[in-house]
Amino acid sequence: MAVRVEEQVLPTWKDGAVMRWVTSVDHKKIGLIYIWSAFVFFVGGGSMALAIRLQLAQADQEIATQGSFNALTTMHGTVMVFLFAMPLLAGIGNYLVPLMIGARDMAFPRLNALSLWIYMIGAIVLLGSFGAKGGAAQAGWTAYTPLSGPDYAPELGQDLWILGLHLVGISSLLGSINFLVTIVNMRTQGMSWTRIPLFVWSMVAQSILILLTIPVIAAALLLLLLDRQAGTSFFLPDGGGSAVLYQHLFWFFGHPEVYILVLPAFGIVSEVIPVFARKPIFGYKAVAFSSLGIALISMIVWGHHMFTVGLGDGLNGFFMVATYLVAIPTGIKVLNWTATLWRGNLTFRTPMLFAVGMVALFLIGGLSGVVVANYPVDYQLHDSYYIVAHFHYTIIGGMVLGIFAGLYHWFPKMTGRMYDERLGKWHFWLFTLGFSLTFVPQHMLGLMGMPRRVYTYDREGLFEVYNLVSTIGAWLMALAVLIFIVNVVRSWRSGPRAGSDPWLADTLEWYASSPPAEHNFDSVPYVASHRPLRDLRRRLGGERDG
Amino acid sequence: MSRRRLLLAVLLVGVALALPHAGLAQYNGGIAPPDSATEGGSQINDLYWIVMGVTIAIFLLVEGAIVWFVLRFRRRPGTSFEADAPQIHGNTRLELVWTVVPFLILVAILVVTIVKVPSVEARPDAGDESLVVRVAGHQFYWEYTYGNGVVSVDTLRLPVDRPVRLELVAYDVIHSWWVPELTGKRDAIPGTTNTLDFTVTRIGSFRGQCAELCGVQHAVMRTTVEVVPPDAFDGWLAAEAKAQAAGASELGRQTWEGVCAKCHGLDGKGGYGPAIAGNSLLADPAGLAALLAEGRDNPQVDGYMPAVSGSWPGDGRQLEALLAYIASTPELAPAGADGQGG
Ligand code: HEC
Ligand SMILES: [Cu+2]
Ligand SMILES: [Cu+2]
Repeated sequence: MAVRVEEQVLPTWKDGAVMRWVTSVDHKKIGLIYIWSAFVFFVGGGSMALAIRLQLAQADQEIATQGSFNALTTMHGTVMVFLFAMPLLAGIGNYLVPLMIGARDMAFPRLNALSLWIYMIGAIVLLGSFGAKGGAAQAGWTAYTPLSGPDYAPELGQDLWILGLHLVGISSLLGSINFLVTIVNMRTQGMSWTRIPLFVWSMVAQSILILLTIPVIAAALLLLLLDRQAGTSFFLPDGGGSAVLYQHLFWFFGHPEVYILVLPAFGIVSEVIPVFARKPIFGYKAVAFSSLGIALISMIVWGHHMFTVGLGDGLNGFFMVATYLVAIPTGIKVLNWTATLWRGNLTFRTPMLFAVGMVALFLIGGLSGVVVANYPVDYQLHDSYYIVAHFHYTIIGGMVLGIFAGLYHWFPKMTGRMYDERLGKWHFWLFTLGFSLTFVPQHMLGLMGMPRRVYTYDREGLFEVYNLVSTIGAWLMALAVLIFIVNVVRSWRSGPRAGSDPWLADTLEWYASSPPAEHNFDSVPYVASHRPLRDLRRRLGGERDG
Repeated sequence: MSRRRLLLAVLLVGVALALPHAGLAQYNGGIAPPDSATEGGSQINDLYWIVMGVTIAIFLLVEGAIVWFVLRFRRRPGTSFEADAPQIHGNTRLELVWTVVPFLILVAILVVTIVKVPSVEARPDAGDESLVVRVAGHQFYWEYTYGNGVVSVDTLRLPVDRPVRLELVAYDVIHSWWVPELTGKRDAIPGTTNTLDFTVTRIGSFRGQCAELCGVQHAVMRTTVEVVPPDAFDGWLAAEAKAQAAGASELGRQTWEGVCAKCHGLDGKGGYGPAIAGNSLLADPAGLAALLAEGRDNPQVDGYMPAVSGSWPGDGRQLEALLAYIASTPELAPAGADGQGG
């Protein structure tokens, strides 16, 4: 099908290269477009963060204040979550899932292309809010009512924000249906549910979560749009609506969203560590099923974002207990990864550095989660910089480091070339150093009483010291990302050829050539365990593997 | 080697000199919530340290294991990358242990928490005379109203050692009342009334700040709590009631600085809102009252002015005080309008 489209359209373009990508329904091309564009948004959202940190480097600065500051924090959060994190994971998933299960493509290739381009349109609409009169949305990425309602955010920017999120949400929904159908139906011969790669397991859990929660946020946003444009007042107390109802709907999606982001990164780390430890994952089943456990329990914990709303001790207590429950499957994963290192033959190439770094730093975010989930303690910490620090530990320490591990790990597969190891290590050490400098002091700032989303503060001394350190850290992270970009661009063009399986890895994607052919595989070996390539190497008599 | 050691020494001395200078003592260094001036707040701090203790122990254990494994099991010289390590697929008993043990630890934390919860917000017993103050969140100020009708903007005066109940409401968007040295925060949500109970046990002045994003000037929606001896408090409350009734209080200045100045600037020369110094509306009681009660969003002018007077006393004393303050402040008053309303 793809071939026919290509032939018809070619003549209108000089060499057809652009059109070949735009009209492609190949999961690998779609995956790469997702990855590239998400990365562009990462740089964009990161620049907003740098501006925020500049403004807060010292007290009483005038770089971005009031409305423009609120627009920066709102759009930074929204862009990072919806235009960077989710699409990047969708990209990696698109690229890898069919290869890992030995399929030729996704189950619905054209639906796949549709999700991609709906996401692009959504991104344009969302970012278009910067051009609207009155500027981009300013009500925070949570868009609490009535602040995001017609009286307090009359500008068009808020409407574009809603519409953009609607489109991006539809894209994710279509994508998750596609992933589930693909994984259920298109696994190669012999790949039973206990033999699918752990990354694929994590995509199953993620897709289920997306299917169950995106419709809820879509409904909430639709009602908000009606409140703004059609005179209803679902969420407007003045008209008899409930501002708290919006929060329930938002966080019913918003908490699972954290796991929508971090589960695939868990999956990546579960693939990378065994390869560089030359061991199987410790407790395959525990790791696989804890993904499902996390997904399901994470749907009943949303109230921990609302402890200060005044829900009462009964509800607060319930959400505290549920949140502590979800810590258990998460903790299991961390311990399984740690145990996989035990007695391994560990080689610290860049993917492994990022993977182990992820385990070490995500642990901190998980543990500070145990602190904030205690609701009386959260009375102090809620909406303070402690929360900002906590969730950046889970999302950068957890997801972003995991993503970097994956990008380095599969770089040779996607490009056919090897990245530069020296630059990769610089990237890792600078990034984690910058990350720690940025976010460790933010815990303290929160405890000292600095609320989040403020454009200035009026205290000196330690307050300014911590803020300044945080700003310096943020710029170090930016430098590290620059190194990453240089590495990718240079290596993609002129890195050494990698061969199909440079890591002597375990899973089927390494059986395809690098980069894989349009049809992925000429043949797929029968899968008899969750490490088919290792089985193959042993069968072929590789003595060194013995 | 020696150069590195020198560098380290310089660094340590630098840090040692910088930290006290930076006010480490004042803020606890930020390792825990500030020492609390209420019983409930102290309970929260206790809980914080209990949970912190457990998480620090887990942190050291797991992080220690990671570091140890990384050092101990890194590839030895002479071993090839692809050399197999022992193929350990798991250990059911071990995995069971590290599922059950964290579970038990969390149950322990939960039990301690639930035991402590009642004292976090010790509610006055029935019949107990607790002081009730109504707290109204507005873009971008706090209005405090006492039982006898005394109002105060952004500054809350409280007696020490007497139970206090704050009744939190909001007139526009959601705000959150937070004074870290007293106790945790509580949201002020339009359409509902929340309560926050505490008893302050220490005389002093405590600063706080709105914690829920409420719009452009959320960052400067600050508040101060002045805690004084009970008799001083009673004296002040009675005197202030008389002064406000007679129009001889500081309420006008408080209102200008707390309410209007955050958007229009202290000198009325403009900020988020337009310059209004000398604006004729500032001497027009009926016109100003309507503007403050309804707000304004002129499409030609950037931004909007919210209705700001929703919680003001019904007898009009706050508006009168504001008008009097403006009239008596030369840089704000419209020319030739002092004294009589235009
Ligand atoms: C939240 C910010 C905010 C606060 C608080 C606020 N204003 Fe305004 N005000 C504005 C904005 C914005 C406008 C312009 C509104 C428009 O025309 O769309 C305005 C307009 C005005 C005008 C009309 C100017 C004109 O000529 O049309 C007057 C008078 C005024 N404000 C007085 C006050 C007074 C007195 C207070 C304090 C009681 C106050 N404002 C509090 C933001 C604020
Ligand atoms: Cu959550
Ligand atoms: Cu606020």
